[in-house]
Amino acid sequence: MSKDIPQEAVTSKSAGLAKVVSDKSLAVLVEKLPNEMIPERDLWPGIERAIGQKSQESQVGQQRNTFVPGAWAASIALVVLLSWFTFSPDIKDNSGAALVNAQGDSGITQGQLVNFMQQSFKQQKQTLLASYGQPTTDKLPVAMQQELKQLADARASIKKALLTDENNVDLLNLLDFTQQQELKLLQQLYRQYQVI
Amino acid sequence: MDSQTKQDKQVIDIKARLSANKVVHSGESDDESLWIIEAKQGSQTAFYQLYEKYHRRIYALCWRMLADKDSAEDVCQEVFVVLWQKINNFRGESKFSTWLYSVATNVVLGHLRKHKNWLQRVFSIEEQGANVAEPHVGLTDDSMLTMLDQHIACLPERARLVFVLFAVEGYRHEEIAAMLKMAVGSSKSQYHRAKSLLKESLIANGFVSIEEEINHE
Repeated sequence: MSKDIPQEAVTSKSAGLAKVVSDKSLAVLVEKLPNEMIPERDLWPGIERAIGQKSQESQVGQQRNTFVPGAWAASIALVVLLSWFTFSPDIKDNSGAALVNAQGDSGITQGQLVNFMQQSFKQQKQTLLASYGQPTTDKLPVAMQQELKQLADARASIKKALLTDENNVDLLNLLDFTQQQELKLLQQLYRQYQVI
Repeated sequence: MDSQTKQDKQVIDIKARLSANKVVHSGESDDESLWIIEAKQGSQTAFYQLYEKYHRRIYALCWRMLADKDSAEDVCQEVFVVLWQKINNFRGESKFSTWLYSVATNVVLGHLRKHKNWLQRVFSIEEQGANVAEPHVGLTDDSMLTMLDQHIACLPERARLVFVLFAVEGYRHEEIAAMLKMAVGSSKSQYHRAKSLLKESLIANGFVSIEEEINHE
Protein backbone atom coordinates (compact mmCIF):
# COMPACT_ATOMS: atom_id res chain seq x y z
CA MET A 1 0.00 0.00 0.00
CA SER A 2 2.63 2.56 1.03
CA LYS A 3 5.85 3.40 -0.68
CA ASP A 4 9.31 3.01 0.83
CA ILE A 5 10.20 6.17 2.61
CA PRO A 6 13.92 7.07 2.30
CA GLN A 7 15.92 7.12 5.50
CA GLU A 8 15.97 10.59 6.99
CA ALA A 9 15.42 11.66 10.50
CA VAL A 10 14.18 14.77 12.23
CA THR A 11 15.59 15.28 15.69
CA SER A 12 14.38 17.49 18.44
CA LYS A 13 15.88 18.31 21.83
CA SER A 14 13.18 18.12 24.40
CA ALA A 15 13.88 18.13 28.13
CA GLY A 16 17.46 17.18 27.40
CA LEU A 17 16.44 14.05 25.53
CA ALA A 18 17.12 13.80 21.80
CA LYS A 19 14.00 12.55 20.09
CA VAL A 20 14.22 11.07 16.63
CA VAL A 21 11.53 10.30 14.08
CA SER A 22 13.10 8.48 11.21
CA ASP A 23 11.55 7.77 7.82
CA LYS A 24 11.33 4.16 8.89
CA SER A 25 9.22 5.03 11.93
CA LEU A 26 6.99 7.15 9.73
CA ALA A 27 6.70 4.33 7.19
CA VAL A 28 5.69 1.97 9.99
CA LEU A 29 3.01 4.39 11.10
CA VAL A 30 1.76 4.73 7.51
CA GLU A 31 1.61 0.94 7.19
CA LYS A 32 -0.50 0.82 10.34
CA LEU A 33 -3.04 3.28 9.00
CA PRO A 34 -6.41 1.56 8.72
CA ASN A 35 -7.70 0.97 5.20
CA GLU A 36 -11.21 1.71 6.30
CA MET A 37 -12.98 4.33 8.36
CA ILE A 38 -16.61 4.27 9.38
CA PRO A 39 -18.65 7.36 8.62
CA GLU A 40 -20.78 8.59 11.50
CA ARG A 41 -24.00 8.87 9.53
CA ASP A 42 -25.61 6.38 7.21
CA LEU A 43 -24.63 7.56 3.74
CA TRP A 44 -26.74 5.12 1.73
CA PRO A 45 -30.19 6.82 1.98
CA GLY A 46 -28.77 10.00 0.43
CA ILE A 47 -27.04 8.03 -2.33
CA GLU A 48 -30.18 6.00 -3.00
CA ARG A 49 -32.25 9.18 -3.29
CA ALA A 50 -29.73 10.80 -5.61
CA ILE A 51 -29.34 7.82 -7.93
CA GLY A 52 -33.13 7.39 -8.00
CA GLN A 53 -33.46 10.98 -9.15
CA LYS A 54 -30.68 10.57 -11.72
CA SER A 55 -32.38 7.47 -13.11
CA GLN A 56 -35.68 9.33 -13.43
CA GLU A 57 -33.92 12.29 -15.06
CA SER A 58 -32.22 10.06 -17.59
CA GLN A 59 -35.56 8.36 -18.40
CA VAL A 60 -37.20 11.76 -18.87
CA GLY A 61 -34.18 12.79 -20.95
CA GLN A 62 -34.63 9.76 -23.19
CA GLN A 63 -38.34 10.48 -23.55
CA ARG A 64 -37.48 14.07 -24.37
CA ASN A 65 -34.97 12.96 -26.95
CA THR A 66 -37.62 10.94 -28.74
CA PHE A 67 -40.19 13.69 -28.33
CA VAL A 68 -37.98 16.54 -29.56
CA PRO A 69 -38.01 15.74 -33.32
CA GLY A 70 -41.79 15.35 -33.23
CA ALA A 71 -42.16 18.59 -31.31
CA TRP A 72 -39.94 20.40 -33.81
CA ALA A 73 -41.93 19.05 -36.75
CA ALA A 74 -45.22 20.03 -35.10
CA SER A 75 -43.89 23.51 -34.26
CA ILE A 76 -42.74 24.07 -37.84
CA ALA A 77 -46.11 22.88 -39.14
CA LEU A 78 -47.83 25.21 -36.69
CA VAL A 79 -45.70 28.19 -37.76
CA VAL A 80 -46.43 27.46 -41.43
CA LEU A 81 -50.15 27.25 -40.69
CA LEU A 82 -50.03 30.41 -38.61
CA SER A 83 -48.22 32.32 -41.39
CA TRP A 84 -50.67 31.04 -43.92
CA PHE A 85 -53.56 31.98 -41.70
CA THR A 86 -52.15 35.45 -40.96
CA PHE A 87 -51.08 36.50 -44.44
CA SER A 88 -53.67 34.83 -46.65
CA PRO A 89 -56.66 37.24 -47.09
CA ASP A 90 -58.84 34.50 -48.60
CA ILE A 91 -59.06 32.43 -45.49
CA LYS A 92 -59.22 35.18 -42.88
CA ASP A 93 -62.98 34.95 -42.46
CA ASN A 94 -62.95 31.20 -42.27
CA SER A 95 -59.61 30.62 -40.57
CA GLY A 96 -60.66 28.02 -38.04
CA ALA A 97 -62.36 25.84 -40.62
CA ALA A 98 -59.31 26.06 -42.86
CA LEU A 99 -57.12 24.94 -39.96
CA VAL A 100 -59.45 22.09 -39.17
CA ASN A 101 -59.29 20.95 -42.77
CA ALA A 102 -55.53 21.35 -42.87
CA GLN A 103 -54.99 19.41 -39.63
CA GLY A 104 -55.04 16.02 -41.29
CA ASP A 105 -52.23 16.99 -43.67
CA SER A 106 -50.00 18.85 -41.20
CA GLY A 107 -49.52 16.08 -38.62
CA ILE A 108 -50.11 18.35 -35.64
CA THR A 109 -52.13 17.01 -32.73
CA GLN A 110 -55.66 17.97 -31.91
CA GLY A 111 -54.57 19.47 -28.58
CA GLN A 112 -52.11 21.76 -30.33
CA LEU A 113 -54.77 22.78 -32.85
CA VAL A 114 -57.32 23.53 -30.10
CA ASN A 115 -54.80 25.68 -28.27
CA PHE A 116 -53.94 27.47 -31.44
CA MET A 117 -57.62 28.07 -32.23
CA GLN A 118 -58.17 29.43 -28.72
CA GLN A 119 -55.22 31.80 -29.00
CA SER A 120 -56.28 32.89 -32.45
CA PHE A 121 -59.81 33.53 -31.22
CA LYS A 122 -58.55 35.55 -28.24
CA GLN A 123 -56.38 37.65 -30.54
CA GLN A 124 -59.23 38.31 -32.95
CA LYS A 125 -61.57 39.21 -30.10
CA GLN A 126 -58.95 41.48 -28.55
CA THR A 127 -58.32 43.18 -31.89
CA LEU A 128 -62.05 43.64 -32.40
CA LEU A 129 -62.55 45.11 -28.94
CA ALA A 130 -59.47 47.30 -29.30
CA SER A 131 -60.82 48.70 -32.55
CA TYR A 132 -63.97 49.70 -30.64
CA GLY A 133 -61.94 51.38 -27.90
CA GLN A 134 -61.88 48.51 -25.38
CA PRO A 135 -65.58 48.66 -24.47
CA THR A 136 -67.18 46.68 -21.65
CA THR A 137 -70.24 44.46 -22.09
CA ASP A 138 -71.81 45.67 -18.83
CA LYS A 139 -73.89 48.26 -20.65
CA LEU A 140 -75.48 45.72 -23.01
CA PRO A 141 -79.05 44.53 -22.49
CA VAL A 142 -79.19 41.58 -20.11
CA ALA A 143 -80.48 39.23 -22.84
CA MET A 144 -77.44 40.02 -25.00
CA GLN A 145 -75.09 39.56 -22.07
CA GLN A 146 -76.68 36.17 -21.43
CA GLU A 147 -76.31 35.20 -25.09
CA LEU A 148 -72.63 36.09 -25.01
CA LYS A 149 -72.21 34.13 -21.80
CA GLN A 150 -73.95 31.11 -23.32
CA LEU A 151 -71.61 31.20 -26.29
CA ALA A 152 -68.58 31.45 -23.99
CA ASP A 153 -69.88 28.52 -21.91
CA ALA A 154 -70.50 26.48 -25.06
CA ARG A 155 -66.94 27.23 -26.21
CA ALA A 156 -65.55 26.06 -22.86
CA SER A 157 -67.65 22.87 -22.94
CA ILE A 158 -66.54 22.01 -26.48
CA LYS A 159 -62.90 22.58 -25.52
CA LYS A 160 -63.35 20.29 -22.52
CA ALA A 161 -64.95 17.63 -24.70
CA LEU A 162 -62.12 17.90 -27.22
CA LEU A 163 -59.58 17.10 -24.50
CA THR A 164 -61.16 13.69 -23.95
CA ASP A 165 -62.28 13.00 -27.51
CA GLU A 166 -59.28 12.71 -29.83
CA ASN A 167 -59.61 13.30 -33.57
CA ASN A 168 -63.18 14.53 -33.44
CA VAL A 169 -63.39 16.80 -36.48
CA ASP A 170 -67.05 17.62 -35.86
CA LEU A 171 -66.25 18.99 -32.42
CA LEU A 172 -63.37 21.01 -33.85
CA ASN A 173 -65.70 22.47 -36.45
CA LEU A 174 -68.26 23.21 -33.73
CA LEU A 175 -65.61 25.03 -31.69
CA ASP A 176 -64.65 27.06 -34.72
CA PHE A 177 -68.31 27.82 -35.46
CA THR A 178 -68.94 28.93 -31.85
CA GLN A 179 -65.91 31.21 -31.88
CA GLN A 180 -66.95 32.81 -35.15
CA GLN A 181 -70.50 33.28 -33.86
CA GLU A 182 -69.20 35.01 -30.76
CA LEU A 183 -67.11 37.37 -32.86
CA LYS A 184 -69.98 38.10 -35.22
CA LEU A 185 -72.33 38.75 -32.31
CA LEU A 186 -69.87 41.17 -30.73
CA GLN A 187 -69.53 42.98 -34.05
CA GLN A 188 -73.31 43.19 -34.54
CA LEU A 189 -73.88 44.34 -30.98
CA TYR A 190 -71.43 47.16 -31.40
CA ARG A 191 -73.02 48.27 -34.63
CA GLN A 192 -76.56 48.03 -33.24
CA TYR A 193 -76.15 49.47 -29.83
CA GLN A 194 -72.92 51.51 -30.06
CA VAL A 195 -72.76 51.21 -26.31
CA ILE A 196 -70.41 48.45 -25.43
CA MET B 1 -43.58 -12.71 -17.30
CA ASP B 2 -43.55 -9.99 -14.60
CA SER B 3 -40.54 -7.72 -14.14
CA GLN B 4 -39.33 -9.46 -10.95
CA THR B 5 -39.31 -12.87 -12.62
CA LYS B 6 -37.56 -11.37 -15.62
CA GLN B 7 -34.90 -9.81 -13.36
CA ASP B 8 -34.41 -13.08 -11.48
CA LYS B 9 -33.98 -14.89 -14.77
CA GLN B 10 -31.39 -12.31 -15.86
CA VAL B 11 -29.43 -12.86 -12.66
CA ILE B 12 -29.53 -16.63 -13.13
CA ASP B 13 -28.36 -16.18 -16.72
CA ILE B 14 -25.47 -13.98 -15.62
CA LYS B 15 -24.48 -16.47 -12.91
CA ALA B 16 -24.55 -19.27 -15.45
CA ARG B 17 -22.44 -17.24 -17.87
CA LEU B 18 -19.96 -16.41 -15.14
CA SER B 19 -19.49 -20.01 -14.12
CA ALA B 20 -19.34 -21.21 -17.71
CA ASN B 21 -17.02 -18.61 -19.16
CA LYS B 22 -15.21 -17.47 -16.02
CA VAL B 23 -16.02 -13.86 -16.86
CA VAL B 24 -14.32 -12.52 -13.80
CA HIS B 25 -12.45 -9.25 -13.86
CA SER B 26 -8.89 -9.48 -12.64
CA GLY B 27 -8.66 -9.69 -8.89
CA GLU B 28 -12.39 -9.63 -8.27
CA SER B 29 -14.61 -12.21 -6.70
CA ASP B 30 -17.45 -13.82 -8.67
CA ASP B 31 -19.90 -11.95 -6.47
CA GLU B 32 -18.29 -8.62 -7.18
CA SER B 33 -18.23 -9.22 -10.92
CA LEU B 34 -21.90 -10.12 -10.76
CA TRP B 35 -22.72 -6.97 -8.78
CA ILE B 36 -20.85 -4.88 -11.34
CA ILE B 37 -22.75 -6.44 -14.25
CA GLU B 38 -26.08 -6.07 -12.50
CA ALA B 39 -25.32 -2.50 -11.42
CA LYS B 40 -24.50 -1.69 -15.04
CA GLN B 41 -27.96 -2.97 -15.91
CA GLY B 42 -29.48 -0.60 -13.35
CA SER B 43 -29.84 -2.84 -10.30
CA GLN B 44 -29.72 -0.71 -7.17
CA THR B 45 -29.54 -3.85 -5.04
CA ALA B 46 -26.30 -4.89 -6.72
CA PHE B 47 -25.00 -1.35 -6.47
CA TYR B 48 -25.74 -1.39 -2.74
CA GLN B 49 -23.53 -4.48 -2.42
CA LEU B 50 -20.68 -2.57 -4.05
CA TYR B 51 -21.35 0.37 -1.74
CA GLU B 52 -21.37 -1.92 1.27
CA LYS B 53 -18.03 -3.40 0.24
CA TYR B 54 -16.20 -0.19 -0.59
CA HIS B 55 -17.74 2.78 1.19
CA ARG B 56 -15.54 2.57 4.28
CA ARG B 57 -12.38 2.56 2.17
CA ILE B 58 -13.64 5.42 0.03
CA TYR B 59 -14.62 7.33 3.17
CA ALA B 60 -11.11 6.85 4.55
CA LEU B 61 -9.64 8.24 1.34
CA CYS B 62 -12.04 11.19 1.41
CA TRP B 63 -11.34 11.87 5.07
CA ARG B 64 -7.58 11.82 4.63
CA MET B 65 -7.65 14.06 1.59
CA LEU B 66 -10.20 16.53 2.95
CA ALA B 67 -9.32 16.41 6.66
CA ASP B 68 -12.92 17.14 7.55
CA LYS B 69 -15.55 14.66 8.66
CA ASP B 70 -18.63 16.39 7.24
CA SER B 71 -17.01 17.12 3.87
CA ALA B 72 -15.69 13.57 3.73
CA GLU B 73 -19.19 12.16 4.28
CA ASP B 74 -20.70 14.42 1.63
CA VAL B 75 -17.97 13.70 -0.90
CA CYS B 76 -18.13 9.97 -0.20
CA GLN B 77 -21.82 10.11 -1.14
CA GLU B 78 -20.93 12.09 -4.25
CA VAL B 79 -18.37 9.44 -5.21
CA PHE B 80 -21.03 6.73 -5.21
CA VAL B 81 -23.49 8.88 -7.15
CA VAL B 82 -20.77 9.49 -9.76
CA LEU B 83 -19.95 5.77 -9.69
CA TRP B 84 -23.60 4.97 -10.48
CA GLN B 85 -23.46 7.31 -13.46
CA LYS B 86 -20.09 6.08 -14.72
CA ILE B 87 -20.16 2.40 -13.92
CA ASN B 88 -20.79 1.57 -17.57
CA ASN B 89 -17.38 3.10 -18.35
CA PHE B 90 -15.69 0.36 -16.34
CA ARG B 91 -14.40 -2.09 -18.93
CA GLY B 92 -12.65 -4.48 -16.58
CA GLU B 93 -9.18 -3.58 -17.86
CA SER B 94 -8.01 -2.92 -14.30
CA LYS B 95 -9.21 -4.01 -10.90
CA PHE B 96 -12.56 -2.50 -10.01
CA SER B 97 -11.15 -1.16 -6.75
CA THR B 98 -8.30 0.61 -8.59
CA TRP B 99 -10.76 2.17 -11.01
CA LEU B 100 -13.09 3.15 -8.16
CA TYR B 101 -10.23 4.83 -6.24
CA SER B 102 -9.30 6.86 -9.29
CA VAL B 103 -12.94 7.95 -9.65
CA ALA B 104 -13.01 8.82 -5.94
CA THR B 105 -9.73 10.75 -6.11
CA ASN B 106 -11.03 12.80 -9.03
CA VAL B 107 -14.27 13.56 -7.22
CA VAL B 108 -12.37 14.70 -4.11
CA LEU B 109 -10.04 16.90 -6.13
CA GLY B 110 -13.02 18.34 -8.02
CA HIS B 111 -14.66 19.11 -4.70
CA LEU B 112 -11.55 20.86 -3.45
CA ARG B 113 -11.31 22.95 -6.62
CA LYS B 114 -14.98 23.91 -6.37
CA HIS B 115 -14.70 24.94 -2.75
CA LYS B 116 -11.51 26.91 -2.98
CA ASN B 117 -12.37 30.36 -1.75
CA TRP B 118 -11.82 33.40 -3.92
CA LEU B 119 -8.76 34.52 -1.93
CA GLN B 120 -7.09 31.17 -2.59
CA ARG B 121 -8.00 31.38 -6.27
CA VAL B 122 -6.74 34.93 -6.75
CA PHE B 123 -3.55 34.69 -4.74
CA SER B 124 -2.89 30.93 -5.03
CA ILE B 125 -2.96 30.66 -1.26
CA GLU B 126 -3.07 27.08 -0.08
CA GLU B 127 -1.59 27.17 3.38
CA GLN B 128 -4.67 26.69 5.47
CA GLY B 129 -5.02 24.18 8.21
CA ALA B 130 -1.26 23.94 8.70
CA ASN B 131 -0.27 24.51 12.27
CA VAL B 132 3.12 23.03 12.66
CA ALA B 133 4.37 25.60 15.11
CA GLU B 134 1.56 24.74 17.49
CA PRO B 135 0.61 21.22 16.48
CA HIS B 136 -2.02 20.78 19.20
CA VAL B 137 -4.08 23.68 17.92
CA GLY B 138 -5.17 22.13 14.65
CA LEU B 139 -5.53 18.58 15.82
CA THR B 140 -8.94 17.03 15.56
CA ASP B 141 -10.57 15.57 18.66
CA ASP B 142 -11.80 12.49 16.87
CA SER B 143 -10.64 9.68 19.10
CA MET B 144 -11.45 7.10 16.44
CA LEU B 145 -8.59 8.37 14.29
CA THR B 146 -5.09 7.03 14.56
CA MET B 147 -2.44 9.39 15.81
CA LEU B 148 -0.89 9.71 12.35
CA ASP B 149 -4.26 10.48 10.75
CA GLN B 150 -4.72 13.30 13.22
CA HIS B 151 -1.32 14.72 12.27
CA ILE B 152 -1.94 14.27 8.54
CA ALA B 153 -5.14 16.30 8.97
CA CYS B 154 -3.05 19.23 10.20
CA LEU B 155 -0.80 19.37 7.14
CA PRO B 156 -1.18 22.17 4.59
CA GLU B 157 -3.56 21.13 1.81
CA ARG B 158 -1.09 20.43 -0.99
CA ALA B 159 1.40 18.65 1.24
CA ARG B 160 -1.44 16.59 2.70
CA LEU B 161 -2.81 15.62 -0.70
CA VAL B 162 0.60 14.61 -2.02
CA PHE B 163 1.42 12.65 1.12
CA VAL B 164 -1.90 10.78 1.12
CA LEU B 165 -1.77 10.02 -2.59
CA PHE B 166 1.89 8.95 -2.57
CA ALA B 167 2.52 7.34 0.80
CA VAL B 168 -0.94 6.01 1.60
CA GLU B 169 -2.61 5.36 -1.75
CA GLY B 170 0.52 4.40 -3.65
CA TYR B 171 0.25 6.75 -6.64
CA ARG B 172 3.45 7.74 -8.47
CA HIS B 173 4.66 11.35 -8.41
CA GLU B 174 3.99 11.60 -12.16
CA GLU B 175 0.36 10.60 -11.61
CA ILE B 176 -0.01 12.94 -8.65
CA ALA B 177 1.51 15.82 -10.62
CA ALA B 178 -1.01 15.26 -13.40
CA MET B 179 -3.92 15.02 -10.96
CA LEU B 180 -2.94 18.11 -8.97
CA LYS B 181 -1.80 20.03 -12.06
CA MET B 182 1.70 20.63 -10.72
CA ALA B 183 5.25 19.76 -11.78
CA VAL B 184 6.61 16.37 -10.81
CA GLY B 185 9.36 18.16 -8.86
CA SER B 186 6.72 20.07 -6.90
CA SER B 187 4.99 16.85 -6.00
CA LYS B 188 8.27 15.44 -4.70
CA SER B 189 9.13 18.56 -2.74
CA GLN B 190 5.60 18.70 -1.25
CA TYR B 191 6.04 15.10 -0.18
CA HIS B 192 9.34 15.83 1.57
CA ARG B 193 7.79 18.87 3.16
CA ALA B 194 4.87 16.78 4.40
CA LYS B 195 7.24 14.22 5.89
CA SER B 196 9.27 16.88 7.70
CA LEU B 197 6.17 18.58 9.03
CA LEU B 198 4.74 15.26 10.19
CA LYS B 199 7.94 14.32 11.98
CA GLU B 200 8.13 17.69 13.71
CA SER B 201 4.50 17.44 14.66
CA LEU B 202 4.91 13.90 15.99
CA ILE B 203 7.89 14.91 18.10
CA ALA B 204 6.11 17.97 19.42
CA ASN B 205 3.23 15.74 20.47
CA GLY B 206 5.43 13.29 22.34
CA PHE B 207 5.66 10.51 19.79
CA VAL B 208 8.29 7.97 20.78
CA SER B 209 9.73 6.16 17.81
CA ILE B 210 10.83 2.56 17.69
CA GLU B 211 14.47 3.62 17.39
CA GLU B 212 14.15 5.84 20.41
CA GLU B 213 12.69 3.03 22.46
CA ILE B 214 15.53 0.76 21.30
CA ASN B 215 18.11 3.45 22.13
CA HIS B 216 16.64 3.82 25.60
CA GLU B 217 16.95 0.13 26.22
